[in-house]
Amino acid sequence: MFRGPAVPANQIHDFHPPISPSGLYWVVAVPKDGLTISPDGNTFTLEMQNVPVVDQPRWPALDSIATPAGMTFKIVWKSTGEPVKYDDGSRHFRFTGTRASCQLEAQVEVPSIGFSRKSDPLNTSKCDFAIIGEEVNGRYYES
Amino acid sequence: MDPVIKFHPNFNRRDILKSSALALLPIATPISSYALNEQQPVTANGGTDPYPIPWLDKNGSHNQPAGSNLEPSHIYHFKGRVARCSTFTGMGTDNQGDRIAFGSPTTDYSVMQGEYWAARAAQQGVFTHI
Repeated sequence: MFRGPAVPANQIHDFHPPISPSGLYWVVAVPKDGLTISPDGNTFTLEMQNVPVVDQPRWPALDSIATPAGMTFKIVWKSTGEPVKYDDGSRHFRFTGTRASCQLEAQVEVPSIGFSRKSDPLNTSKCDFAIIGEEVNGRYYES
Repeated sequence: MDPVIKFHPNFNRRDILKSSALALLPIATPISSYALNEQQPVTANGGTDPYPIPWLDKNGSHNQPAGSNLEPSHIYHFKGRVARCSTFTGMGTDNQGDRIAFGSPTTDYSVMQGEYWAARAAQQGVFTHI
């Protein structure tokens, strides 16, 4: 989050899950019913409530202090139908799918400093890059 | 000829008794370990958490930037459905009534649903990178 133009000097909050001991990066398990995929596979809706995250305003500075926070959000991906295929043998991954639109609404809170913030409705957000599809990587790449 | 006397002429009965007691320690230690092992689960095959993508980003993290021809998943040894997005822009309001922008080129999310390999076995799960 930024106060003013979105440049590092204006960053006042950065919310994400902690990095796991294995190095798994800002990844959390999605509870049952958190992800809904339409029968035709063209729309993914991800909704989660009160996800434990940290607020690291000076991220990615190595000494950025992390304050416990919570996040509730909804993200909707919708396929545009335009095909996309990535296949990188050197990095062992293959993706087959389509481009997509994606929108997000979220609410965050940092109880220890009395901060909370709610985004405008889902349909007011915008993203420049989105895809949905199927992927294989690692040990599944050659099979 | 007594080999002990020949090679260790300074050994006496007390030294031999001390050495015998020390020699029993490796045998005694596992007995207490067995009791401990009964209380703790064995993870000889590793945990069931997913593996991170092995490659490092410019910050030395197992993070994957989003974009064309870049790895969409944040889980390695994975096959399944994935959705990826980045470069969000939007607005919101804080509890003081101030308008705050969110989003930058690195504001990215993903969701992964399917099979992954961990603990030397196929696992099923749904995960998100937020």
